[in-house]
Amino acid sequence: MEGDTIAAIATAQGAGAIAVVRISGPRALPVLGELLAPDASLPAPREARLRSLHDPGSGELIDRALVVTFRASASFTGEDAAELSCHGGRLTPALVLAATLAAGCRHADPGEFTRRAYLNGKLDLLQAEAIGELIDADSPALRRSAVFRMERGLSERIEGLREALIRVDALLSYGIDFPEEDEPPVSNEAILAAVSEAGARIEQLLRTAPEGQRLRRGALVVLAGRPNSGKSSLFNALLGRERAIVTEVPGTTRDALEADTTIEGYPFRLVDTAGLRTATDRVEAMGIEVARRYLGEADLVLFCAEAGRELGEDERRFLQDSPSPVLLVRTKADAARGIETGSKSVRVAIPDGEGLARLRRELRERAFAGSAAEEEVPLLTRERHARALRGSTAALEEFQRALEEGEPPEFASVHLRDAVSGLEELVGRVSPDDVLDEVFGRFCVGK
Amino acid sequence: MIGTEFDVVVIGGGHAGTEAACAAERIGARVLLVTGNLGALGQMSCNPAIGGVAKGTVVREIDALGGIMARAGDRARIQFRMLNRSKGPAVWAPRVQCDRHRYPEVVRELVEQHSGVRLFQGIVTGLIIRNGRVCGVRTREGVEISARNVVLTTGTFLRGRIHIGTGSGVPGGRAGDPATVELAHQMDDIGVETARFKTGTPPRIDGRSVDLARLQRQDGDEEHLRLSVWTREPLLPQRPCWIAWTTDRTRACVEDALSQSALYGGEIAGRGPRYCPSIEDKVVRFPDAERHQLFLEPEGLYTTEIYLNGLSTSLPLDVQEAVVRSVPGLEQAVITRPGYAIEYDYYPPHQLDATLRLKEMEGLYLAGQINGTTGYEEAAGQGLLAGANAALDALEKEPVVLERDEAFIGVMVDDLVTRGTDEPYRLFTSRAEFRLLLRQDNAHTRLGQIAEKAGLLTERQLESLRVRREQRAETLGWARATSLTPEEAGPALEAADTVQIAEPTRVDRLLRRPKVRIRDLLAASAAAPTLDPDAATEVENDLRYEGYLVRERERAEQVRRREHLPLPASLAYESLQTVSTEARQKLSRIRPRTIGQAARIPGVRPTDIQSLLVELRRRELVGERST
Repeated sequence: MEGDTIAAIATAQGAGAIAVVRISGPRALPVLGELLAPDASLPAPREARLRSLHDPGSGELIDRALVVTFRASASFTGEDAAELSCHGGRLTPALVLAATLAAGCRHADPGEFTRRAYLNGKLDLLQAEAIGELIDADSPALRRSAVFRMERGLSERIEGLREALIRVDALLSYGIDFPEEDEPPVSNEAILAAVSEAGARIEQLLRTAPEGQRLRRGALVVLAGRPNSGKSSLFNALLGRERAIVTEVPGTTRDALEADTTIEGYPFRLVDTAGLRTATDRVEAMGIEVARRYLGEADLVLFCAEAGRELGEDERRFLQDSPSPVLLVRTKADAARGIETGSKSVRVAIPDGEGLARLRRELRERAFAGSAAEEEVPLLTRERHARALRGSTAALEEFQRALEEGEPPEFASVHLRDAVSGLEELVGRVSPDDVLDEVFGRFCVGK
Repeated sequence: MIGTEFDVVVIGGGHAGTEAACAAERIGARVLLVTGNLGALGQMSCNPAIGGVAKGTVVREIDALGGIMARAGDRARIQFRMLNRSKGPAVWAPRVQCDRHRYPEVVRELVEQHSGVRLFQGIVTGLIIRNGRVCGVRTREGVEISARNVVLTTGTFLRGRIHIGTGSGVPGGRAGDPATVELAHQMDDIGVETARFKTGTPPRIDGRSVDLARLQRQDGDEEHLRLSVWTREPLLPQRPCWIAWTTDRTRACVEDALSQSALYGGEIAGRGPRYCPSIEDKVVRFPDAERHQLFLEPEGLYTTEIYLNGLSTSLPLDVQEAVVRSVPGLEQAVITRPGYAIEYDYYPPHQLDATLRLKEMEGLYLAGQINGTTGYEEAAGQGLLAGANAALDALEKEPVVLERDEAFIGVMVDDLVTRGTDEPYRLFTSRAEFRLLLRQDNAHTRLGQIAEKAGLLTERQLESLRVRREQRAETLGWARATSLTPEEAGPALEAADTVQIAEPTRVDRLLRRPKVRIRDLLAASAAAPTLDPDAATEVENDLRYEGYLVRERERAEQVRRREHLPLPASLAYESLQTVSTEARQKLSRIRPRTIGQAARIPGVRPTDIQSLLVELRRRELVGERST
């Protein structure tokens, strides 16, 4: 019994000069052969050749395409594979795909090419995830992080940690298995020192985990303030387009408006909310309720208040009680020139752009402070990553506690092995099926 | 032709062969053991000691499976020590020094107590093979013995060559005993893959020539425990060992003479053990070590001869003497038997299945050093398993397969048949994933039912295990249900050097404190059940480390669930494109029984296992659809 052969259109659907249809599996080359004219030869592996493609049933010419074949030993999926670059558009690629299906291929499931590459050991789990993120990346920072991981940057660090912990386990085992050898067993102090060094390296990675998830989803920045405090103008200015309706009428924004944008290379989700006041009509009241929920989840709240006036009691209470970090923005600064409003706030004037550059820098530094300090982009972009590493650090703490409390080494070592399996799970050495499904379920077809 | 057909014929009378013959007999097989020298049954060819880390646990497992090594060790022992006492009880390791002359006598006596074992002296030169199946053996004298199954336990005797200094060496299976060549040729003809290993022994010296006063004395434990739960006989008096250290001069002697060493002069090509290195190895591989430790082990109660553990060598005799005399306290030492290196054939054990039967030849089982292992205990454990399975097969009963979470013997056999070995294989606790479960104290609980099912135990042994099981259950129940008052617990806590309690406290809670002994708590309560001292350690550990043990057992269960997914024998690995090329080749060669075995084959990666799981799942779906 052999695995089946899959095919899919790998490029975006719709207009375009060319589209790529990908085939992978044990029958990839015979399938391609059925599409070629009877007298045409299969191109040698890794050499691009122009071939005409025919419907295997009717023999009708579909297109002329640039064809490349790959042998299993040197292909993305680790299986025999082919890539057909045909003309783009809505019909031609679909006809080429249909021809491969007629020749015996199955339409690939979402993420199946990458999944096969993983199963064939061509990629580890972190690399497979990174490819998905690279494709989806809208911000330069996420792209950089994904490329680093695709090139095994994170995998190598995790494997280094894993090896370090296995070395410690070996030191413990040396003491157990060779009680009468020349070299005395390694001291607990030395073992604890090695473990806390590994623990510190994991902590360092973990510190960027919240920012990593922000990197993938965008940092949630919520604009709040009294009605008519300039939130929507600021929202539009940060987006660089007129997304929110701006009027002089308080309560114009009823629902929360959400938009993605990139600020200084980092991804943000901006939310403009209904002004907070005791609403007079029901629709506005519901909008205020939605705003409160956003405020609870926000990575940063931009609290808007016009420059040049004292903050009211309600505003001061908001600043004090907010569950999320808040930055006070003094809006409409052009109308209050020369009036000092305190150093902890940012003054902005939308018409002439005053303060916007500073505000953008503040946003990036506050939402991605760690990566600014570490001088590298965050690497742990998924809850799965953080969960696995938190499991490892918890196990390492248990190990340290056990050793310090004088528990026998063979028992303490159980915790060490737990820590190692957390790291292995992260790289996908031992991956429970649900992890795999989670990872590969997120790909769209053809990747 | 001897008599009628035997169920099992065992070739070889070493630690593997004697256990094989006895195990087969206990199961009810008619057994014949044939060996070149019946006077040397159970010979200790290397050091005069049994047990040690992991190995001591194997000895206890052999005891639980009704074997003889633990009882022989008890009755020949002249020193008992529990190693690793400073570590946790999961890695305690009993070890005995034996009287080298007494040990084989006891083995002979124990073998002869198995009335269904016939002993026969002769050198087997050939297997009788009919229709692709082994069905007997032929000796050099032309005697033919027919057998349903044959267990081959020839140790280092197949094409063995002994080396002392350079030169091509002389054929020999052990100093003083001849090697076997004909059988080795026949194994080649059958197509069994062969490889070479080497190992060495140290010189022995005359104790009268040693200045013991200048050495460090190492006595046995005062509390003498036994290896076997069945041993009732009185024990022999204990003797000390002595510790000495090599010097700079030792290193100089060895370095100057390296070219004359069989091991370093290029005479021996086979690989030797990394963890029992010769003195040549130690000097070459650890040039910075100032000194190496030597253990002077007494050879017996009625001899002064001493075994120089740690000084294994194949240097010429005059160099050996200079090396020995470079050790403080040994300046006048006289060598009685030179050390030597031996190289021998072994059969890479991936050719065996989990019952230790050769996959490509019906009726032939292999056990002991011939499978690439080192150590008496490793050999005996395999011998017992191979003998039992040869008998069970002959009697058409279910085989015994020990799992990795059941016994160190199971870990060893699984390692051997799935990974093979490229150096002489020795057991360590770190080879086991679940070493907390594989303790020396709980071997009888772990293996009692397996032994009973296979028919490896006598009625009396079964009865005694039943009593132990009941006592254990009763004590566990008592400890979880009984609280001791501060007055009752007082002496036990004081003995353990721990703070007193203010309120009545449950026994299992008290036992969580390190050093609190269950026997003290049992003594403190009038309502306490009686508990055999051997079982006390087990119950104490089960309670003290309950949290860890529960988790370890859960994990073992998880592994087992996946582990036991069977791989269909018909699986055509060659055509599984999602499995890497290397793994495909190995899988089709080794043909693992289960996913777990497949995962442990070197070169098979976790991603290959994922692919196999996907394939199994796919077959399952296809199967569901077609039925």
